[in-house]
Amino acid sequence: MSLIEKYGAEIESILARYPQKRSAVLPLLFIAQDEYGYLTDAAMREVADLLDMPPTDVFEVAGFYSLLYTQPVGRWVLQVCDDVPCAFCGAEDLIATLQEKLGIPVDQTTPDGMFTLQRVKCLADCDHAPVLQANLEYYHDLTTPEKVEAVLAELRQRAESGEKLSISGRYADR
Amino acid sequence: MPNVTLVIDGQTVTVPAGTNIVDAARIAGIAIPVFCYHPKLKPVGMCRMCLVEVWTPKIDPATRQAVIGEDGRPVMTLMMGKLQPGCVTSVSDGMEVRTTTDRVRFAQKGQLEFLLTSHPLDCPVCDKGGECPLQNLTMQFGPSTSRFDYADKIHFEKPIRLGDLIYLDRERCILCSRCVRFQDDIAGDPVLGFDNRGRTWEIISKSDPPFDSKFSGNTTDICPVGALTTADFRFKARVWELRPTPSICPHCPVGCNISLDMRYDRLMRVMPRENDYVNEIWICDKGRFGMRFIESPERLRQPLIRKGDTLTPATWDEAIALIAEKLIAIRTHAGAAALGGLASPDLPNEDLYLFQKLFRQVLRSPNLDFCTGAPGEPAIIDLGATLGVGKGTNLSNLGAGTSVLVVGADPEEEAPLYVLRLRGIAARGGDLTIINPYPTKLDRTPARVIRPRAGAEAFVALALLKTLIEEELIAADFVTRRVQGFDELKMRLRNHSVASLCDAAGAPEDVVRSAAYAFAKADNGIIIYGRVALASGADLIDALADLALLTGHVGRPNNGVIPLIPGANARGALDMGVHPGAGKKRGLTAREMWAAAREGRLRGMIIAGMDPVRDNPAAAEALDALEFLVVQDIFLTETAQHADVVLPTASIAGREGTLTNAERRVQRFRQARIPEFNTPAGWDVAQRIARALIALGVKPTAPDGQGDGRGASRTLAKTAATTASSDQWDYAVAGDVADEIAATVHGYADTTYESLGLTRKPQWGRQPNEAIFYDGTSYENTEGVGVQIAAEADNPKATFTLRARVPPLFATNDAYPYTLLAAPRAYDGRAWSRDSKLLPRMVTPHLILNADDATALGIAPGGLVQIASEVGCAVLPAQIDRNLPRGLALMPDVDGAPLSRVQTGPLTRIAIMAHISETVGTR
Ligand code: SF4
Ligand code: SF4
Ligand code: FES
Ligand code: FES
Repeated sequence: MSLIEKYGAEIESILARYPQKRSAVLPLLFIAQDEYGYLTDAAMREVADLLDMPPTDVFEVAGFYSLLYTQPVGRWVLQVCDDVPCAFCGAEDLIATLQEKLGIPVDQTTPDGMFTLQRVKCLADCDHAPVLQANLEYYHDLTTPEKVEAVLAELRQRAESGEKLSISGRYADR
Repeated sequence: MPNVTLVIDGQTVTVPAGTNIVDAARIAGIAIPVFCYHPKLKPVGMCRMCLVEVWTPKIDPATRQAVIGEDGRPVMTLMMGKLQPGCVTSVSDGMEVRTTTDRVRFAQKGQLEFLLTSHPLDCPVCDKGGECPLQNLTMQFGPSTSRFDYADKIHFEKPIRLGDLIYLDRERCILCSRCVRFQDDIAGDPVLGFDNRGRTWEIISKSDPPFDSKFSGNTTDICPVGALTTADFRFKARVWELRPTPSICPHCPVGCNISLDMRYDRLMRVMPRENDYVNEIWICDKGRFGMRFIESPERLRQPLIRKGDTLTPATWDEAIALIAEKLIAIRTHAGAAALGGLASPDLPNEDLYLFQKLFRQVLRSPNLDFCTGAPGEPAIIDLGATLGVGKGTNLSNLGAGTSVLVVGADPEEEAPLYVLRLRGIAARGGDLTIINPYPTKLDRTPARVIRPRAGAEAFVALALLKTLIEEELIAADFVTRRVQGFDELKMRLRNHSVASLCDAAGAPEDVVRSAAYAFAKADNGIIIYGRVALASGADLIDALADLALLTGHVGRPNNGVIPLIPGANARGALDMGVHPGAGKKRGLTAREMWAAAREGRLRGMIIAGMDPVRDNPAAAEALDALEFLVVQDIFLTETAQHADVVLPTASIAGREGTLTNAERRVQRFRQARIPEFNTPAGWDVAQRIARALIALGVKPTAPDGQGDGRGASRTLAKTAATTASSDQWDYAVAGDVADEIAATVHGYADTTYESLGLTRKPQWGRQPNEAIFYDGTSYENTEGVGVQIAAEADNPKATFTLRARVPPLFATNDAYPYTLLAAPRAYDGRAWSRDSKLLPRMVTPHLILNADDATALGIAPGGLVQIASEVGCAVLPAQIDRNLPRGLALMPDVDGAPLSRVQTGPLTRIAIMAHISETVGTR
């Protein structure tokens, strides 16, 4: 089923917000990403078609933003900030812990498809460094392996509880 | 705009306000190094190579006056306390720019050191080496060593295909975005973009097919490094080994100035030559990559004579003797009128001139044409000779104040460079109206788009005329002095309202009215018409002429009509008189020749450079009915296979000559190599035949028709050329023929090779030695920019009569409910495409249908459709276009398209049905 068939009303209401169709490219990419799990080649072309945009322009947008994924990702995308303030407060330790607990290196997804681990630059939450972002939700002060363990357990539990998750943060209530 | 005076490196310069510092420096002859800036592109300030010191007078905030120092001079401050990018900083009064200080040198050095951190430094194997701005600027401004770790260079897979024509070497790319901006802004094909960020930033193309643009080759020119290279030239040669030969593209009526870059006798690549009147610094991919046919192994090498069923090699003497003997025999027993000649509108003027001279003066037959006589071929109705754009026209200067009507034309397919020219006019503030029954790529340009019903275009033109009359938008003074029949025109339009005419056209009245208003009010008005307008016929084209006349948009530079007649030199064919109406006695048209041949009235023909059988298999039957057929060509075409004698000729690379473009600019091309297989130029073939005929006792007559060039003119009495021409037939070089053309052909007086050579111009906007901008971009024009021939209207005494009338509506036919139109395609798969890297892009035969029509007919994309007209039927794959108007079907005019099987004329009523359920792939 195509995006317009499945999310017609949502897409129409998004389009209605902008004087120019192409301005809706980010929200539509979020829908496509949630629907297909990540931005496949075909998904980006579908969005280009919906917005009468040259496909190249849509690929440019997807390539630019770190919250748009052009490779398959897990249900939770864990992004750890490794920029300077976080680095001073233990970002590398946090990454090492995550790698160990998840059993995957950075830029990989756990075999059960639950978690993807990524490094990113400043998440604008430096006062709580080191910072982890899981699908647009912040987790702060992850300075011990125990805290990390707890967060992972919570995330796993939420996913398994049947909660509707969105790697694009579309359903986050904030 | 007011002028601004500033000082650059001690020199005082005055430039228009708004000029950026890099351009201001260029005017002063000072080169500020750049990478991302290019004089043809908008500045973006991406590369920081142009950093300079910008000092401005200190302003006292209280008085808003310049602060004067103790020495009595204004106190200067460094703008924002740091270096500024010159390409995005505008000049201001009293500014002082320093481009050679230590601080600037330090920045330039650092900038290059940064640019080279990721650069692979593989100049020895890089195609750009030798004409590479990065190489040159590094030598001039760069550091001799780098402090960066060589091992830390980023590596990408070596060249990847951006498309089938262009390779991208991501390691070499300096991310200046020149290529992206060219595609977005100049070409209007936004198919390139940036992917990712930081060190993995790279150029991508995601169109289908990738890098889908007819102008892609230009990006390899303006790329300041060797990141973009063409599939056509990669690893062919080092650029310093090349011998550039000035030439003219032989593929369309634009006449782009090109350079054939030769190594010894081999064509290595085709590059643009700068000519602002014609192509600025660009060419299309057809011109750049469509020249490999020159070296095709299939080229004809020697004359062939028919022996029974086979064509067998013969000597030139044998072939010419046989031709002379047979032509004389036919003339003796059947009369000169039993002879006819067809010459291609792609041939140079010299060939066309002697071809018609051979017929008119030696064989004494007026049967000459440059058409193929296919059933759907429209009549050629030319307004170029009479109302063509005035002498001195330069589209690259036009913008605000100019209004252009593009009527029944698809410039991208018929004359690609006009897309860039028209986009340029629009970008500079010009007004554009596109009137075409189906969407074309030009519609992407900001323009008013009017979509009339196919065949009803004339009603839009009439509605425009009626608006002019009703709203008193007439150029009254011009009309009084030079136009006749205004009252009669008003009478003819009396019973029609703008609304009723728009209704007949299926066009929105408000848009038509605004187009009329814009066109009439503009300082400059230009009308471009093309293939679909010709298909629509005289009713439309006469109305277009009247539009130009009533608004006074003729007879001045930058005003008038530009007809896009198929062929690189259709203009020359008309001017030289290779058409049946040129002489005192009217000859047969191509179509009439086919009928005459079948009926035995036409017995012998010479066909030069044209392949009518390809377009019209029915012509084969007529050719076979002839007693004697000579075909002169560079390939053994389908037509040549029916010949009794086949004569090989040299290609454009193996000889010299002139071509006349759509704007009537006569341009010379030079011989790039010794003629392939020692083949003669076409003009020499005509000369050899004429000499042989004369040697056998044929007496040439006085000239008639040649040089008239006004055979197709509507307004002037036919005046045959009066100047005597030589009947000696002793032309040694092409220049001798050109001299005779200059002496005899109306309007061509200034076109001898000497005078063409005198048209060399200081390069537009280009300073001597501006390698910084132009290295690898295009060649300076050392051959001259050509001579534009005056149109009849340029003569202030010439008067014109208005002709527009209201035609009957194109009849509908319930049995054949759809309208079939042949759509021109640049990539038509014909002889020029041999061995070209463009081959995968050639359009294969198909029918384009509206989406709703297709649904109603039960046709899926790629499915086969059967079409039928009153004369025949054909089966071909369908392509669905949701933007095509309902009821219209387009068949691209490409190699193998079954047009002549179904067409009853330029517009054909057809029925369409799904053909069984089988599907085949289409592009
Ligand atoms: S490919 Fe060439 S023109 Fe395009 S961004 Fe890279 S360096 Fe610039
Ligand atoms: S626009 Fe026409 S003349 Fe110019 S390069 Fe292309 S085909 Fe040749
Ligand atoms: S540096 Fe990590 S959130 Fe800002
Ligand atoms: S920043 Fe000025 S030329 Fe690139």
